[in-house]
Amino acid sequence: MKAPDFSYFEAQNIQDAIKYKSEDDEAVILAGGQSLLPALNMRLSSPSCLIDISKINNLNEIKIEGDFINIGALATHSDVMNNDLINEKLPCLVDILKMVAHAAIRNKGTHGGSIAYGDPAAELPAFAVAMDAEIVLSGLSGQRIVNAKDFYRGLFETDLKSDEILIAIRYPFLSHNQHLIFDEVCRRHGDYAMAGLMARVELDKSKINNLDLVYFATGDKPNIAQNTAKLVIDDRYDYEKLKKSLASEIDFAGDLNSSSEMKLHLATILINKILNKLER
Amino acid sequence: MSAKNSVNISFSVNGENFEDVTVPTRQHLADYLRSQGLTGTHLGCEQGACGACTIEMDGVAVRSCLVLASQANGSSITTVEGFDDEVMQKVKNNFLKHNAFQCGFCSPGMLMTTKEIISSKKKLSRDEIRSEISGNYCRCTGYQSIVDAIEESINEIN
Repeated sequence: MKAPDFSYFEAQNIQDAIKYKSEDDEAVILAGGQSLLPALNMRLSSPSCLIDISKINNLNEIKIEGDFINIGALATHSDVMNNDLINEKLPCLVDILKMVAHAAIRNKGTHGGSIAYGDPAAELPAFAVAMDAEIVLSGLSGQRIVNAKDFYRGLFETDLKSDEILIAIRYPFLSHNQHLIFDEVCRRHGDYAMAGLMARVELDKSKINNLDLVYFATGDKPNIAQNTAKLVIDDRYDYEKLKKSLASEIDFAGDLNSSSEMKLHLATILINKILNKLER
Repeated sequence: MSAKNSVNISFSVNGENFEDVTVPTRQHLADYLRSQGLTGTHLGCEQGACGACTIEMDGVAVRSCLVLASQANGSSITTVEGFDDEVMQKVKNNFLKHNAFQCGFCSPGMLMTTKEIISSKKKLSRDEIRSEISGNYCRCTGYQSIVDAIEESINEIN
């Protein structure tokens, strides 16, 4: 359980980090390191160099920018949970972060790091997709913005180019009739989920007007279940029908904790749990 | 910027300054601390799950197996050896009183997490205490005695 050898570069500013990264394809960005370091310790990854961006100033700001809440890449999960703006404007994120690991890990793990790492079992990538967030990337040719749903390409694979660094995530505000409801099934509190669901619901009185279902810990990336969402709007909860629909639109990938069939079952019952939460 | 496999860093541990020490880039902080004789910080899983290596870095609890020694540059660290203030003395006495350990492997991490609970100034229920220490594994006690010790510490100090 010791990391392989790599070199280490402490970046003082974003330009430094971008330049260094553009010159070395095998270099990896280190922010909080709470997913990267276990992967290194278990030798699942062997980068040539870690570019430590954690000392860069002003990359952890949380602020309102126009119609968005902008979370700087280096804001830790604890920073986000304790932030007044987030508690007021995006309280669902605070509840979600309570499910992310444990306090000592949330003190170090960063929002941008979790989004950029793209672990398919992590909550935040699915949250960003369900919220239709914008991901701000900075590279040699300047900044660009990618929609979260276009950012995730495959297993730990994102739209980040070799010279780019994720610098912020921008979440649109939820209007009064929109709700982000989530649930997950895991063996122990703080573990990665066996299956989890982020649902963005738009209500017209008590009728569901619009619904986005985004699953995590089910496949290779945050999985959007568009057809299933339509079925839920039309006839609410019908286990067999929804299960069939989910099976046809998500390629469920089993892991050590649960088989693909188990994940399909959990994904189906999660819809019922979400609907029950909605009624409360 | 050649590929170097060691870096020089400066930081403080329990008030003692470590100036310009050379550390291998791949070495995590727990291994470095233990190599300096600070063996109170225990290593269980080395993947962030067990909590035995929890230390305080710049005022917050972190896993020292998930922090590289090189990342500690410029920071201020407290390990279990540095728990000599009045508050932590009371916590340690409560752990002794309630027999909140058997083998002692998890104790440094448990004490560190307790320190963070106490400094949050929150009055926690037993369920909430269990939730707060959910990131620290104990394989001996069944946690009851640890929750007892933390509960009494909160009542006594906050």
